[in-house]
Amino acid sequence: MIGDRVLRKEDARFLTGRGRYLADHDVPGLCHIALVRSPIAHARVRSVDVTEALLSPGVVGVFTQADLEAGGARPMTHRLSMPGIQPLSWGVLATDTVRFVGEPIVAVVATSRAEAEDACELVEVDYEPLPAMVDPRAALEPGAPLLYPEWGTNVFFTAASPAGQADAAIATAPHVLTERVSHHRIQALPLEGHGAQASVDPQTGGLVVIASNQQPHQLRTVIAETVGLPESSVRVIAPDMGGGFGAKQHFTREECLVALLARITGRPVRWAQDRAEGLTASIHARAQEHEVTCGYDDTGKVLGYKVQIVADLGNPVLYFSGIGPSLVTIGCLAGGYDFGPVSFDLRCVATTTCPVGAYRGFGQPEAHVTSERVLDTIAERLGLDPVEVRHRNFLPDAPRPWMAPSGARMDIGSLGPHFDQLLDEVDYDGWRKRQADARAEGRFVGIGLSTLVQGTAPTQYGVAGRFGSWESASVSVLPDGSVTVFVGTKSQGQAHETVFAQVAADALGVPVDRVTVKDGDTAALPYGMGTWGSRSAVMGGGAVVTASTRLREKMDLIATHMGGNPTFDQIAEEVWWHAHRLPHHLEPGLTSTVVYTPGNTIPVPDAAGKTNFEETYGAHMTCVVVEVDVDTGDVELLDAVLVSDCGRVINPMVVEGQHQGAFVQGLGNVLHEEIRYDDEGQPLTATLIDYTPPLATDVRDLRVLHREKPSENAGGFRGMGEAAIIAAPAAIAGAVADALRPLGVEVWSTRLHPHHLRALLRAAR
Amino acid sequence: MTALIETALSVNGERRILDVEPRTTLLDALRGIGLTGTHAGCEHGACGACTVLLDGETVRSCLVLAGQCGGREVTTIEGLGTPDALHPVMESFRRCHGLQCGFCTPGMVLTAVELLDENPSPTEAEVREALSGNICRCTGYAGIVAAVLDASSSVVSE
Repeated sequence: MIGDRVLRKEDARFLTGRGRYLADHDVPGLCHIALVRSPIAHARVRSVDVTEALLSPGVVGVFTQADLEAGGARPMTHRLSMPGIQPLSWGVLATDTVRFVGEPIVAVVATSRAEAEDACELVEVDYEPLPAMVDPRAALEPGAPLLYPEWGTNVFFTAASPAGQADAAIATAPHVLTERVSHHRIQALPLEGHGAQASVDPQTGGLVVIASNQQPHQLRTVIAETVGLPESSVRVIAPDMGGGFGAKQHFTREECLVALLARITGRPVRWAQDRAEGLTASIHARAQEHEVTCGYDDTGKVLGYKVQIVADLGNPVLYFSGIGPSLVTIGCLAGGYDFGPVSFDLRCVATTTCPVGAYRGFGQPEAHVTSERVLDTIAERLGLDPVEVRHRNFLPDAPRPWMAPSGARMDIGSLGPHFDQLLDEVDYDGWRKRQADARAEGRFVGIGLSTLVQGTAPTQYGVAGRFGSWESASVSVLPDGSVTVFVGTKSQGQAHETVFAQVAADALGVPVDRVTVKDGDTAALPYGMGTWGSRSAVMGGGAVVTASTRLREKMDLIATHMGGNPTFDQIAEEVWWHAHRLPHHLEPGLTSTVVYTPGNTIPVPDAAGKTNFEETYGAHMTCVVVEVDVDTGDVELLDAVLVSDCGRVINPMVVEGQHQGAFVQGLGNVLHEEIRYDDEGQPLTATLIDYTPPLATDVRDLRVLHREKPSENAGGFRGMGEAAIIAAPAAIAGAVADALRPLGVEVWSTRLHPHHLRALLRAAR
Repeated sequence: MTALIETALSVNGERRILDVEPRTTLLDALRGIGLTGTHAGCEHGACGACTVLLDGETVRSCLVLAGQCGGREVTTIEGLGTPDALHPVMESFRRCHGLQCGFCTPGMVLTAVELLDENPSPTEAEVREALSGNICRCTGYAGIVAAVLDASSSVVSE
């Protein structure tokens, strides 16, 4: 059961078009919301005239922030708890100032989406343009136009470690490397856009919100706060989701708007994001610049490591904004390496662009690309093989868990043998020979490595001051022996209906088809933390296995009491229908609700100043081989192998599918995709003709091998949903750099698109 | 109010009469009669999530006006199989893990059906080429390509 390639329970409904996604929830009287969004990057809003729009056919109402406030709207905030952050709150709709193209100003409710969009055309907004500020480094310059003049700067948040130790280690190192690494702006791009629908429950007067959201319980909290209702009066249902990848992790203005407008109009209302809104006015990601300084010795051992980060937040009117990922970046700069003292300096900068926030990987790809580029470059400068330099820098094999100076509790296996397994599998030495042969023929083949240690199942408490590290599940054995599981995570395609059924079935000792799993409904469980941060197997799986094991133990007790070796079904029937025959001390029923935590995290500094944000870690070793066409700049993948330790594997088919999909996303991130703006802050990538995720013809299969070292947490899981999207950009950048090295090209950017590579090649000639 | 166009067409073998605005896309018209397996992914013809068969050929239903479909035959994913009776191509998708979130899946399956109809034994390169108008953000295409190749050996050409 656990460990089997069980085919997915979800598939029959998805394959036949019976999935129920956000926009598949038509109800009688449903109205639709369209938004008037700013067409310019930065402006004062002088006036808004909705007179014409109100007269447009089908229009139910036209709403500004003032209308929403009259209807009870409260301010929204980023809900960050760190010291030193600038004060900032915002309305559900913008009022006097807009600060990116796409910022919502007016909401139209109409009886059809087309009518709502027609009426948006009739809203007159008078803008007084202000200077756009697109480049975060320019935004740091003295005299730069300010997004929030009351701050006196565009810096929203800064954090720095004590610099002394790393600086001293670097100063006395035999060699020092200093480079700038650019991580370009991309986005998660779930194929189903974001959206929400809400209605007033006539029985209770409360709200029922259907939202394509990865964290329905936390969305309930935020909606309740913004609308001004107790949490008990808001039910959030996250239905089938057409992907999420972090883009649906935030709690957005639009979700709160939908809730407010359902109350204000008394009608069921839906907002379903269109693709232009998704590309320009939802969530962007990455967008960091690193200046890395590294001291190392003649053997390639790093002695001190320092990264100064400028993170572009866009206009940070978003729950946790780009600060969340940036904090993760500074927490994993050294990954699975012993780099000696590590220091950082982080400046999070507001610009007049779309808010930056979550995308699968969440700050880890940025740290990892930088560290892998540094190690490869050290190897090159010392004339060593990058394999050798990695071996020299891996965390020692003992003790375990490895307790990093920061407090991180790294419960991973030995990295060296894991890496060697990868090299054997990919035939590293053979590829080096083939690479030499190719070079002799004037072809440019490169080999790239990623040796990733990934923190998983993180706590949000450190940044949010709430939302700790735990997860809920409720498992019941029903009188006929069938089993229900409710869990507080939220599948967006990760097969939770199948894998959690496997976990429960395994613990209970029943066939998988007996178990029905449900998620995404705040009515089913008091609270849950949702799905993000590679946490679901660790936290949801841990909760399901804990609840199921408790039930199994109770059933074993009852079986002994019954005598005669009863079947599972006989025990279930006995407990529910013949409860008077149970032992007196035993509670009737077979249901177990648990709130589970591994308990490993330290979200705020303890007495020794240590923190640990991750419940566990996975280790993933990746090698890719590419050939670069130096005339076109095209990068062709020749081989790609991942040896993955995600702890106990629940369903190898699902894990391989996650790795495959994440790898191709990571490939797309660096070879195909880039969110671009012009100098005036106009988005240049507002369609899927301009923002081009990889197609079936652009990729090849990743070969995945499992290397299972169970964690000590319940079930032994480690989590892995983000691993390959962290690994792929680093490995591909390494491979491209390796291929182009003979031409004098160095790669210090994630922009590996054909036109960027052609520019690098031109510059090198 | 714009005058509605009465459009009589066949949807999944059933005669339907739709009253649509001139601007109503086939996508919206199909979804409006409850066939929500046809998904709106981009509404500008780039992603393929809204793919349906029109007289047996794949079209992006977001780029076809419903009013132009009078007298024509539309097949949506709902017309191809049911959870209890999956089409052989659907069976292959399930067997080969050719889907995750399921949002691109109807378009992928219909595109695969068209390919296998025209070319019952495609090579991997031909499969990738045929699918290259449909975006999948979850799978990395490996399972989808495997599923179409699997179906090519299991599907009897119709």
